[in-house]
Amino acid sequence: MSDRQEIIRELAREALAEGRVDYFLGWGQGYDASQNIPVFVREVTDVDRLQWNPLCHHNLTVFLKRKMPDPPDARIGVCVKGCDSRTLVALLQEGLVDRDRLYIVGVPCDGVVDRRKIDREFTGEVIGIEFTGDKVLARTAQGDSKEFDRTSLLLDQCGGCHYPNPRVADDIAGDTVPEPEGEPQWPSLAEFEALSPGDKAATLAAAFSTCIRCFACIHVCPVCYCWDQCVNRSRTPALVSQRVEKGENLMFQLVHMFHVAGRCPSCGACDRACPVEIPLYLLHEKMNKELYDMLRFEAGVDLEGKPVLQAFSLDDPFGEG
Amino acid sequence: MTVVASSQQTQEAGSAALAEGAGPARPIKVVAILCNWCSYAGADGAGTARLVQPYGFRVVRVPCTGRVDPLLVLKAFEKGADGVLISGCHPGDCHYSEGNYYARRKFELLRRMVPHLGIEPERFRYTWVSASEAARWQEVVTTFLAGVAALGPREGRAL
Repeated sequence: MSDRQEIIRELAREALAEGRVDYFLGWGQGYDASQNIPVFVREVTDVDRLQWNPLCHHNLTVFLKRKMPDPPDARIGVCVKGCDSRTLVALLQEGLVDRDRLYIVGVPCDGVVDRRKIDREFTGEVIGIEFTGDKVLARTAQGDSKEFDRTSLLLDQCGGCHYPNPRVADDIAGDTVPEPEGEPQWPSLAEFEALSPGDKAATLAAAFSTCIRCFACIHVCPVCYCWDQCVNRSRTPALVSQRVEKGENLMFQLVHMFHVAGRCPSCGACDRACPVEIPLYLLHEKMNKELYDMLRFEAGVDLEGKPVLQAFSLDDPFGEG
Repeated sequence: MTVVASSQQTQEAGSAALAEGAGPARPIKVVAILCNWCSYAGADGAGTARLVQPYGFRVVRVPCTGRVDPLLVLKAFEKGADGVLISGCHPGDCHYSEGNYYARRKFELLRRMVPHLGIEPERFRYTWVSASEAARWQEVVTTFLAGVAALGPREGRAL
């Protein structure tokens, strides 16, 4: 793990020193040793702020959709994990970022730790998390500490990950990791899918009634990019009003889901950004599962591909006669 | 447009259901989204030919099924529709050549998502009816409304 960190720092140092990039986007430590935040490195002397550990969950490609136009000629270095690289591919497929201005450092990923799973194990405030091999040692400000297996703390979507290695990269930080074989699985959906229609509605109503419409899920989504024209903010057409109510809250999320359909690889950034922990995966993972079932389509896997709802085939096997 | 139920008819349906004591207090509400070039003309033809059709559905005429955003369907459900039916030109017959090819992928994804939102699958259907298929329109709308009526108005909905 720290090998990868050294390689990331070295690649960033070279790129900055040679003037190949104006700034480098990576992960770094947040306010304490239990937090990880996106870091913009602009000076060679700052590259040691870059980190790599299983807390590096941020999908940094979200900054590209904002930063690519401004400043207009900036050359950007960016670190991507497997899932991040798929959103980057989705952006590249649509010509929304300029490949020539990007320096992509791919980071093969062993799975990202869910910070919330650690928090739930303690009553106090977690201020330090250390990684040693497959063990995770967490400690709190109150002096409490516990050791966990890393695999037990991974994000739910990491369990079904088929693409831990970057799909697009200029340089790879360290050795690639083995990719699982076989069909993609969506184990996290099974429980919900087994419910009756009434129970599904009740579950969704309860889950989505807590939405505060903070737009965090939308702002953090790399492939949701209608910044100033978002229909969720629009009064005409009024798909969603100001009324905070479970139906409109669900509608709000469905706007996001359908607008990224065919481009969302379920990186889970929206799930992690949600301050009220709405299970957004129920929507985007289901959408991806159905798209796979329909067309064997997976978003952001192939640079030459096209987002599935922006294309068609005369032989599409569905539709009633 | 002859197939659009008048409010009086809707009221009658409601009171008939009440009188029987078996049905729900309000009649079902169904939105039918029809493309201008095929299905709307087909439905119009069914009216002109005086084919018997159920009432209780509202027709929304759109230029092409390719124009139909899946979110419009979900918004209809959110606004209280008990069923949504989309019908357009048969694939290959689109007035704009390829609108319904795009639409068909979107609708298929939507059809698979609708049950996931706690809405019975019978409440959503997409199909193709050409301008000359008045009889087929009659069959489509009759079976669809019968299916929705059997489920009754939606209750305890999330959307």
